[in-house]
Amino acid sequence: MEYRFDNKKDFMEKLEALFKDGMRLKRMKIYMPHPEHDVEHLVEKYEKPSRLKFFTLVGGLTGCLTGFAFTTYTVFSWPLVTGGKPFISIPPFTVIAFELTILLGALFSFAGIMILARLPKISKMFAEEVHGNEYIIIIDDAR
Amino acid sequence: MSSRTTETFAAGGHAHEHVSDPKAVKDQIEQDIYASVGKPGRLFWIALALSLGAVGIGAVCWAYQIYTGLGVAGITNPVGWGVYIVDFVFWVGIAHSGTLISAILFLFRAKFRSKFNRAAEAMTVFAVLTAGLFPLVHLGRVWFFYWLFPYPNQRLLWINFRSPLIWDVFAVSTYLTVSVVFWYIGLVPDISLARRLKQVKEGKIARVLYGIFSGGWSGSFKEWQHYGQLYKYMAALAAPLVLSVHSVVSWDFAMGVVYGWHTTIFAPYFVAGAIFSGCAMVLTLVIPMRKIYRLEKYISIDDLEKLAKLLMFTGLIVGYAYIIELALAVYSGNVYEYEQFMYRMGGDYAWAYWTMMICNIGTPLLLFFRKLRRSIAFLFAISIPVNIGMWFERFNIIIISLAKDFDPYAFGLYTPSLIELGITLGSFGWFFTYYLGFTRTLPVLSVTELKEEVEHGR
Repeated sequence: MEYRFDNKKDFMEKLEALFKDGMRLKRMKIYMPHPEHDVEHLVEKYEKPSRLKFFTLVGGLTGCLTGFAFTTYTVFSWPLVTGGKPFISIPPFTVIAFELTILLGALFSFAGIMILARLPKISKMFAEEVHGNEYIIIIDDAR
Repeated sequence: MSSRTTETFAAGGHAHEHVSDPKAVKDQIEQDIYASVGKPGRLFWIALALSLGAVGIGAVCWAYQIYTGLGVAGITNPVGWGVYIVDFVFWVGIAHSGTLISAILFLFRAKFRSKFNRAAEAMTVFAVLTAGLFPLVHLGRVWFFYWLFPYPNQRLLWINFRSPLIWDVFAVSTYLTVSVVFWYIGLVPDISLARRLKQVKEGKIARVLYGIFSGGWSGSFKEWQHYGQLYKYMAALAAPLVLSVHSVVSWDFAMGVVYGWHTTIFAPYFVAGAIFSGCAMVLTLVIPMRKIYRLEKYISIDDLEKLAKLLMFTGLIVGYAYIIELALAVYSGNVYEYEQFMYRMGGDYAWAYWTMMICNIGTPLLLFFRKLRRSIAFLFAISIPVNIGMWFERFNIIIISLAKDFDPYAFGLYTPSLIELGITLGSFGWFFTYYLGFTRTLPVLSVTELKEEVEHGR
């Protein structure tokens, strides 16, 4: 079954009714022309929120640890005093750790959306399927 | 589609004016913004030819320098950092307002960002690509550039992580990567729309490319849900990154003991300057683009005025930093610092110093007049002296400080050679070539965000 809406209001009413009837995302596809926070809030009453944040967190922590661990490893790999500084020079290493926190945080988050939203979808790259600027709910009748 | 509904949206009220037919408005937005994609006009080809010509000049100069040696540049003792490093800092600075507009203004929910973010992010990416060339150009043996990468050399010595130049490698490459990812994320839904454009015919290579880069985005709820999260986190990561990158660039100087460089205010001073120059460059790029692609409906004078206010604000910070820098030189009682600033104001390069002062302190003050702030011609006109002034700011910091160091025996003057100027010209061509390509292949405004605003009012 397929429902198409020109405006958000009708779409959200229908969606809410469906959720109240026990319909879940597993059995339906929703298409929107742009992100909608209201719809997100509505859906998240019944479904789990996006788990993307864990990717960002893990990426950021990995970057931070890598930054400190890597710089520390290199100074001990061939101990050589430069500029009379201590081997583990916290302030300069913080700069490296900071940049890597951001870098890996961003890259992990990007990987996160690819994994969670199952992108890239090669079959859909050249598909003619056009959703346009309508809000669409497609319900899988098979089950 | 009545154009009235779109106008309501564009001119649009601050209130939640209800759009009678949101779908029609959204269709119209798509049509208007994607109109720029496709067959370019004559003006485009002329601009592209000029840009490519400049790239050609730059390439010939660089090839000559690589073949002959770094001696063809004007840099020598004591001024070992010349126009190349000036250009590097200038372009990194230009890159800054893109992420400011897309990330920081996003976190602050400043609505006018959606009018500039796509163009500004593109500008950021291209400006970092331009900036990244200059450390290479500055190398005598460019084929050894990879020595900067963190790996142990033949004697198993690693690079020195205490060197600000290495921080710079990390900061700038992180900045490039994150800006590209951020820009691309915003583009994905828009690229997936471009697939079905009338201009992009079936079987054309452009269609295949749009398909590939869209990643098969279909606009499903799941995709949007993760997208919303991703955008938020990317903005949160990019915001401190913007502040850090130009701080790190400033430490390339501030960590040295050279007078005129060794100052604690350098990091905030550089960041403000970067955003100042970046906003000016956004105005330089967006005002002609708005006119040529007929985007007046979407980028209103109010939006441009907000950008002008940002320019004025950062301009005031820059002016404040110039004065504090001077005041500290006098107040510190340090004879070298004092002499350095006296030399800047009245020495061999006084012309460059006063060019900077007039362009960067004087011109933004004119923006206090509401009438001027709302004049599009004036905004375009003012963006040019700001760009020039910010280039000279870096010239003053780098060159004047090196020209007059501690020991009078080691004083020396520097004049840029034609090769250096040729490569500088080439960098502008390189930047504009990318930018021109962008305006004809990708939507210059974020269609997704404009559509979102239809639902939410402005």
